[in-house]
Amino acid sequence: MIPQYRQAVDQHRQRIFSFAHYSLRAKEDAEDVTQEVFIKLWQHWQKIDHSKLGGWLMRVAHNAVIDQVRKNKSANSQQDDYAEVEEQAEEIDEGRQLDQAAFKQQLMEAIKELDDPFRSIIVMRDVQGLSYAEIRETLDMSESQVKVYLHRSRRKLRENKTLRNLFNVSVGKPVTDKESLTLSTVKATNE
Amino acid sequence: MSTNSESQCYFIQLQIDSFVDGELSSAQREVFMSHVHTCEDCGRELQYAQTVHDAILDLPVINCDENVLEPIHRLVNNGHESAAPARSSSLWTALGDWLGSAPMFVRYAMPVVAVAVLAIAIWPAVFGPTQDAPQVASQEVQTVDMQQVTYGPEDIQQALLDLNLAIDYLNEVSQRTEVMIGDRFLVTPLQDSLNASFERAMERNRDALLDDPI
Repeated sequence: MIPQYRQAVDQHRQRIFSFAHYSLRAKEDAEDVTQEVFIKLWQHWQKIDHSKLGGWLMRVAHNAVIDQVRKNKSANSQQDDYAEVEEQAEEIDEGRQLDQAAFKQQLMEAIKELDDPFRSIIVMRDVQGLSYAEIRETLDMSESQVKVYLHRSRRKLRENKTLRNLFNVSVGKPVTDKESLTLSTVKATNE
Repeated sequence: MSTNSESQCYFIQLQIDSFVDGELSSAQREVFMSHVHTCEDCGRELQYAQTVHDAILDLPVINCDENVLEPIHRLVNNGHESAAPARSSSLWTALGDWLGSAPMFVRYAMPVVAVAVLAIAIWPAVFGPTQDAPQVASQEVQTVDMQQVTYGPEDIQQALLDLNLAIDYLNEVSQRTEVMIGDRFLVTPLQDSLNASFERAMERNRDALLDDPI
């Protein structure tokens, strides 16, 4: 059992840690989730279907991340307001070139700000490259539901104000409170 | 911007992710591209979507440091004896692990072969001397055999213990097989039969409601 357990940990640790890291704000929380997942694997080793180990681990990681997000949400609600003000101040100082590093950093933040299952689906599919079948199994939803959620996740991500402003600055479009033509604004006009 | 073109922009922007994923048909793709080339806003929206998508794909792989898993390794090392399922001996644990990773037919054939070999080995020692009739008939041959191989009471006891362990293991394997067979051949027909009964009952109730004069 021990060698097989160690092998399973080695095989899946990057995927689990990466999923937790892209879903949670603090690295320490991602580490806690990773540890929790592999402790649960140890405890349930005899009961689980080892042919579906990857899906089982992702499901446990997904649940652990949701719990951690819930825990953090109440504690960090005030802190987030300050962070938003700081981000807006930083935006004004941005240069005209799209700073790839800053864009990616903001992108990671924007992913973490998404609610579940939007966040989990975009991390699993676009960041980690999981197949639709694997995501379907992990989140217990149909493949078409996964696709719909994925497209919505991407749209929500693009609606992130800071991300859009960074892009607008890079293409020489003035940053204003009024957003450029987005799906949500067009929809509102139509209604 | 007219309402007509706004709604066209709306539908085009709905298709951006399908376009990025290459999921549009050639006809849809043609309509999409011709609109994007003429509409500046949708063109920029596509460029933005593509930039975000490329950046996501380009996000770094996050390495899981070895120290993150240190508590796990500690747990495994400390809890080996207590948390791992109790087996009779390390030999049987090792055998179980090996069988667990072996193909299905080997998994079931190995215990049977082991029991058979063990039974053949201990048969003469356990039952040989008590069989009076053959002893008389072939006394000479048996005397020669007994001189060549002698088993003490401890050997016999140990052999019986080993046989018991093997039988326990075989029982466990057979129970698992029963569960597997039960799932496939017993539970499903039973479930089908129950479902059919429920459907028949519902059908009956429905008819009764239709025939009800009230």
